[in-house]
Amino acid sequence: MRLAEGKSIYEKLEILSDAAKYDVACTSSGVDRGGSGRGIGNCSAAGICHSFSADGRCISLLKILFTNECVFDCRYCVNRSSNDIERVAFTPEEVCRLTIEFYRRNYIEGLFLSSGVLRNPAYTMELLYQTLRKLRQEYHFEGYIHVKVIPGAPQELIERTGFLADRMSVNLELPTAESLRRLAPHKSRQRILTPMRQVQLARRANKNELAVFRNAPQFVPAGQSTQMIIGATPENDFQILSVAESLYRKFELKRVFYSAFVQVTQDALLPSLPGGPPFLREHRLYQADWLLRFYGFEARELLSEAHPNFNVFLDPKCDWALAHLERFPVEINRADYDTLLRVPGIGPKSARRIVRARRMGSLDFPDLKKAGVVLKRAIYFITCSGRQMYPLKMEEDFILRNLLQSRETAPAETATYRQLSLFDAGQMLGPVPPQLLQTGVQ
Amino acid sequence: MIIFQCEDSVDGIFSAVYDAWDSGLGHANVALRLQTQADLELFAEYRMVPTDADKAKKVARSVRAKMGMDAYQTIWQAALSADPGKAEHIYRVLVRGMSARTPATEARRLIWGLQDKDVCRIFELSRRTGNEARRYIEFVRFRELENGVLYSEIQAENQVLPMIGTHFADRFPNEDFMIYDVGHNDCLIHGRARPWFILRDTRPQPEAGERLSEHEQEMQQLWRNFCRSISIEARENRRLQQQFWPLKYRRWMTEGQ
Repeated sequence: MRLAEGKSIYEKLEILSDAAKYDVACTSSGVDRGGSGRGIGNCSAAGICHSFSADGRCISLLKILFTNECVFDCRYCVNRSSNDIERVAFTPEEVCRLTIEFYRRNYIEGLFLSSGVLRNPAYTMELLYQTLRKLRQEYHFEGYIHVKVIPGAPQELIERTGFLADRMSVNLELPTAESLRRLAPHKSRQRILTPMRQVQLARRANKNELAVFRNAPQFVPAGQSTQMIIGATPENDFQILSVAESLYRKFELKRVFYSAFVQVTQDALLPSLPGGPPFLREHRLYQADWLLRFYGFEARELLSEAHPNFNVFLDPKCDWALAHLERFPVEINRADYDTLLRVPGIGPKSARRIVRARRMGSLDFPDLKKAGVVLKRAIYFITCSGRQMYPLKMEEDFILRNLLQSRETAPAETATYRQLSLFDAGQMLGPVPPQLLQTGVQ
Repeated sequence: MIIFQCEDSVDGIFSAVYDAWDSGLGHANVALRLQTQADLELFAEYRMVPTDADKAKKVARSVRAKMGMDAYQTIWQAALSADPGKAEHIYRVLVRGMSARTPATEARRLIWGLQDKDVCRIFELSRRTGNEARRYIEFVRFRELENGVLYSEIQAENQVLPMIGTHFADRFPNEDFMIYDVGHNDCLIHGRARPWFILRDTRPQPEAGERLSEHEQEMQQLWRNFCRSISIEARENRRLQQQFWPLKYRRWMTEGQ
């Protein structure tokens, strides 16, 4: 062990929060729990963000590693054992005190505790368990706790920890077993999926128990999540999204997070990214992830073997709609909820408001705006009482160009512009530029 | 036209609703205004409505019974908004919803009908107030004073204190805390294991909020360091940060100063 002794709490927090920041999950959602009145804290189902860091990500939990000492040597990780950095560790007491004092001041929603592997997985998991036990039972903390499962820890220990945590997560790290073998030699797909399955089964058993005994202790009530690194290995978007879909279906995960690969260590096996980390790709994956979870889409509707990557110019929903113009326009006053949800510019909230409001009388375009519909995207795909807002052509090329005009998402250096003609808005002027062809939307 | 003027509070507005309805002048001949209204109207007779908790309670109870809890929540939130015309909009919605001619099923759905101008306005105001309250549930920052009290200052556009009191009381049942709304001059006060309440038009002594406890500075410094070190340099995006965390909130926050 190479732990530095005698570091102040300032230095420890600095080092161990810095080391934890590449973990994406900072959500505090998934569980609604009022305070018992005896301790401190409660949880709100939607989650609460408390601050935002300079990179625009939300700060909801005190996200720290217990220690950044690690016996594993994963190539992409800043804490890999071969990396020459300063190694420190908290004590359970320090973690508890920081959590409680931050929580009292309403800085945070709870604790996100992860760790490097100190000595071996079982020893590390035991330390995490002891910290959580202290926080819950001695400090009577009733706020949110997200804890990482250390792959390879004994089942019994994971189970004990799960009764103290709200959410558990095991990081899938990389989308395929092959990539994992290359970049994380100490981890295997098997060792990651085993605890994931264990938590899933324990949650199911716990649900049955709760149905009988209402006051039985809850096991990981906010479910589990995982994360994948995007862009460090050659998988395409279709593979990644399919993996996410099967995690949602087969492992009943609550969230899959995607993290654009950021170069933090040098290694011959890692790709060099001259264009910077693939943030736009990550963004598209999140958009598609939402479509899977809340909009009733399936991965193979959005992408296919023949069309394996997302369009950089258009969000996945617009892209899908353009490829399925035969389903549009949708009549707002008649279409059912699921059909409304598929219209670009309409989300679950506005779709619900539309369905409710039209029971009181028919809706027109200004009403839609009030209900929260994004008209600049939706107008090409809807009618109100049989009329379009403006006379618009149901033509892929026409809609595509108009959608792109009002968007800022296309990267500046690859964006292609064409002069619009006042007199002939629907006609192509000259050949389609090659960049647009590549995106798969012709 | 008879104009009923009321205090800018939920009870005040509901009292005026009661009186205006009870006056028997006909709904077309009455209007509701806040007493803070500056420009008086010509050819109108003004009647000042004293706030009456009993009348307000009766209105609230019958709205809940006939229009449902969701509708009541929406109207209540709209009544806390900073909009000067809110009393009139609320009255018009209640006239439609509470009229004996409106069947119960329709009254319960009324609040969904965004086609109606007043319902839509109430919906917008309620959403705005609700959003701001949610922001303050996130952004309230307590500091620990010498005597162990947690103290916070905010400057809200709408009257958010009644909407966030339950949340914080549930979260910190065993703490003494106080949130002072600088803009409205209201204080939310919670004593250990006691119910919370709001004192209107009360300003705490300014120097009392500056006597910090022993560890307060240390915690504030730890928190500021944490907010800095948790950010990934390669992803820095100040515009995105500002979109989620507008500058106007930062003035009152530990890490925003």
